[in-house]
Amino acid sequence: MKTGGRLKLLIMAGCISLFITIQAAYGEDAWRTDFDVSCAQSNDAMSLSIPELNKLIERCDSLQKIIENEEETVRKVYLKRLQMCKKFYIFVLESKMREQKPK
Amino acid sequence: MRKIFFVVPILLVAVGIAWAQGGMKKKKPLPFEFGSVTINNYSQQAGMPPVVFDHWVHRQNYTCRLCHVDIGFGMIAGSTKIRSSDNMKGYFCGTCHNGKTVHNKKIIFESCAKEYSREEYKRCTKCHTLERSAAKEDEFYRFSEKMPSERFGNRINWEVAEEKGLIKPVDYLEGVSSKKSNLKVNPDFAIKTKVEGMPDIIFSHKKHTVWNGCELCHPDIFIGVKKGTSKYSMVEIFDGKYCGVCHEKVAFPQTDCQRCHTKPPQG
Repeated sequence: MKTGGRLKLLIMAGCISLFITIQAAYGEDAWRTDFDVSCAQSNDAMSLSIPELNKLIERCDSLQKIIENEEETVRKVYLKRLQMCKKFYIFVLESKMREQKPK
Repeated sequence: MRKIFFVVPILLVAVGIAWAQGGMKKKKPLPFEFGSVTINNYSQQAGMPPVVFDHWVHRQNYTCRLCHVDIGFGMIAGSTKIRSSDNMKGYFCGTCHNGKTVHNKKIIFESCAKEYSREEYKRCTKCHTLERSAAKEDEFYRFSEKMPSERFGNRINWEVAEEKGLIKPVDYLEGVSSKKSNLKVNPDFAIKTKVEGMPDIIFSHKKHTVWNGCELCHPDIFIGVKKGTSKYSMVEIFDGKYCGVCHEKVAFPQTDCQRCHTKPPQG
């Protein structure tokens, strides 16, 4: 193979490995960002609507599946944190639904 | 034979007293011991003494919420099952105890290490220790001297200490805590007592949320949301349920009746 061809191959390999590294890092950041966004609403939970609360609970459910694939310590910490905020959203949701029920 | 009738009742009485003392009477913790938690899930297996965690050291600097929600420590001693590897990865104690984090211009010592020298072992014994430390006791009394006093527990009124700005507990850790909006605090409400003449309890959400946020108490500790739907009894609270999850173990003990029963009876 000519030197130019080798160089192209080298650049391509470099680009692929860079892409994989960035994607892995972004992937990790993505669920943490999603976690922060989902659980940051707990202070406002009482002012959220029922559909908004349902959406947050759904987000927690999908996050749970991602965190379950993480390593042991991350799983231990973040599943507990996620459970806390999810359970709180369910608690607020149920109390709102009870309020809406005709007496 | 006659001796038996004399000795047996005495023995029974002695055994009864010994049982009553061991099985019923709890040792009242000293002010510096109040809120101490012994964690021994894996320490002794690893040839280390258990960890004795002092709440008073930590609560002067951090809110309950920061550690029990954002860092993920359980509310029951030993329930978190912390491993040294978790700390070394920067979780649980290792979130702050990493040899890098600075608080009050001091670097917080690193919590665990795979290998350590004889000199470094001294650092391990800052947490892994069951022996009473005179230095720690002295540190507590020097700190408590500057704090507003209280009759029970640590004999420190933490609430007043915060109001006066003597302590400023941190509630947010970059890279750990989720950025939240300011909490809209629900108004205080009264909890009626069953005992005649006993003042009603005025529950202050403000006093509690400033330390705990929402999800630390709801729904795990308090499931009811509508006033009057949940009935609380002092027996259950003394048994460590509801308010008793914190009050008695870390927050002021329930023997300090007037701290909660504040509303004088009407009429």
